[in-house]
Amino acid sequence: MMQTDTTLESALDALLMADASALDSKDMMGWLANYSEEDEASYICRAAENSENGLALGFMYDDCRSRLEDRVTFVNDIWVGTFQDYRTRHFVQRVAYQRADASTISMRSNFSLFMTPTDSGITQVLAAGQYLDTIRLEKAGALKLLSRRAELDTSVLPRYLVYPI
Amino acid sequence: MSEIGLTWPKNFNEVPKAAFTRKDIYAEEMKRIFFGQEWHPVAHESELPNPGDFKTFRLAGVPLLIARDREGVVRVFYNACSHRGNQLETAVMGNKTEFECPYHRWLFDAKGDLVGCPNHRDFLPGFDKSDYPLAQPRFDSFYGLIFVTLSAETETLTEFLGASQNTLRELLGGDGRLKLLGYQKVRYDSNWKSYTDNDGYHAPLLHQAFKMLNWQGGKGRQFTATKHGHICFESALSVVSGPTVLKDASLIAFKGQDPAVGSRIVSLFPTFVSTKHLDVINLRFATPVDEETVEVHYAYFAHQDDDEDMVLHRLRQSSNLLGPCGLISMEDASIFHRIHIGNHTPGNAIFQKGVHDQSKLESEFLQNDESGNLPRWEYYRSVMGFERAEA
Repeated sequence: MMQTDTTLESALDALLMADASALDSKDMMGWLANYSEEDEASYICRAAENSENGLALGFMYDDCRSRLEDRVTFVNDIWVGTFQDYRTRHFVQRVAYQRADASTISMRSNFSLFMTPTDSGITQVLAAGQYLDTIRLEKAGALKLLSRRAELDTSVLPRYLVYPI
Repeated sequence: MSEIGLTWPKNFNEVPKAAFTRKDIYAEEMKRIFFGQEWHPVAHESELPNPGDFKTFRLAGVPLLIARDREGVVRVFYNACSHRGNQLETAVMGNKTEFECPYHRWLFDAKGDLVGCPNHRDFLPGFDKSDYPLAQPRFDSFYGLIFVTLSAETETLTEFLGASQNTLRELLGGDGRLKLLGYQKVRYDSNWKSYTDNDGYHAPLLHQAFKMLNWQGGKGRQFTATKHGHICFESALSVVSGPTVLKDASLIAFKGQDPAVGSRIVSLFPTFVSTKHLDVINLRFATPVDEETVEVHYAYFAHQDDDEDMVLHRLRQSSNLLGPCGLISMEDASIFHRIHIGNHTPGNAIFQKGVHDQSKLESEFLQNDESGNLPRWEYYRSVMGFERAEA
């Protein structure tokens, strides 16, 4: 019987919570800080419908560290004052993980995401789906996202997106 | 005169806001426009490139099945069994050469022929399978772009497209040989007319990105095609020069050909918007859901002659630039919502930029003129039978 690594599981959950917390507080620098500094760090948000049909197009396609940094610029600088703001609440649950090699872990989690537009005040589901993560175990013991694919069950979004999911 | 009362303003540059919000007007639009004498794009053939590929789509609530048979012929069917009307195919896309209705196991091939039905000896005397193919709406295509009309009276597709054909053909890569990259699908809290009225080009004032990216506006032409008021744009491509706030400037790079007319938009009445901007080729299949909601399927394409690097470039640019969360289009989506909320107030929406005489319609405009929408509004008014107030 495989022994449960509670320390590792706690660290993985802490990373999941840190990402949810950064997004829900609109802290884009905090969101970025959860990603590895490596050039190939990536965040891709895509309808599962596309993936399942061999279509790579995403809602967001940040396939390198520079694009992750640009995503912060979009939200913090370029789009300021142009959209109807909304609160989000992420509910995240780790489903499975496995060690790929000494420094890399793959993890699958479920998420559901509520949104509450500031103007209407009515809460609705923005999206549900899975996070497919590759996580880097860094030298100092920290865990960082090397890649995250937010794979949306929601193929038709109920509104436009400002913040990453 | 329409059975529904709405007096249209005498000035051509004014549109009554009530047209965007009234349920009775929406119901009349279904009859006169969506089931009327218009052609509606529903797919591009490159979305179903292989024999057996299919796509389903709801056009104003009407379920459609678009299928390519074994010989490569693409047809459009109503997505309903010819027996009791059960929805035939539930997948949004896939590959099948036969479609079976689970209710009574009627089986159709991709030509729409009924090829099997159990227990037919119990049916009416003289029952003949050949009398029960899948029903089809009228359809036609233009460089692979498939159009459906729900009226038998509609003019030919060529007549419908009129002078928009050249711009549309060039937008479709010049030959329609496209390769599907994928979809972004979204519902907007917006009447379908608020969406089409504000998609496409508009005042660059909205886009803070243009300023921050050091992106200068290109010179362009906007013109009206046909009585339907289709809007075509052909613009010199403005390419970012100098420093930009982006660390990965490939998002706004142009790697294609012909920057002199590098940007094209064709907006066809009633709901279709298509654009080729930088290296993005985007067809937006939009359909009303109700008077407060429009659903838009942004389909993105590469060209079949692209090499691997170009496909990847288009994929990266398409995902992040022009859709419902794109760098220079997220604000547009916000405007669709906000205009629709604002339309629940009395009075008229007023067009100013490019209007020279409010008692006349023009057909040639500058790139960022609002007045390019006015011929379409005049067509809408006439189709709906709304009388213009006396001058």
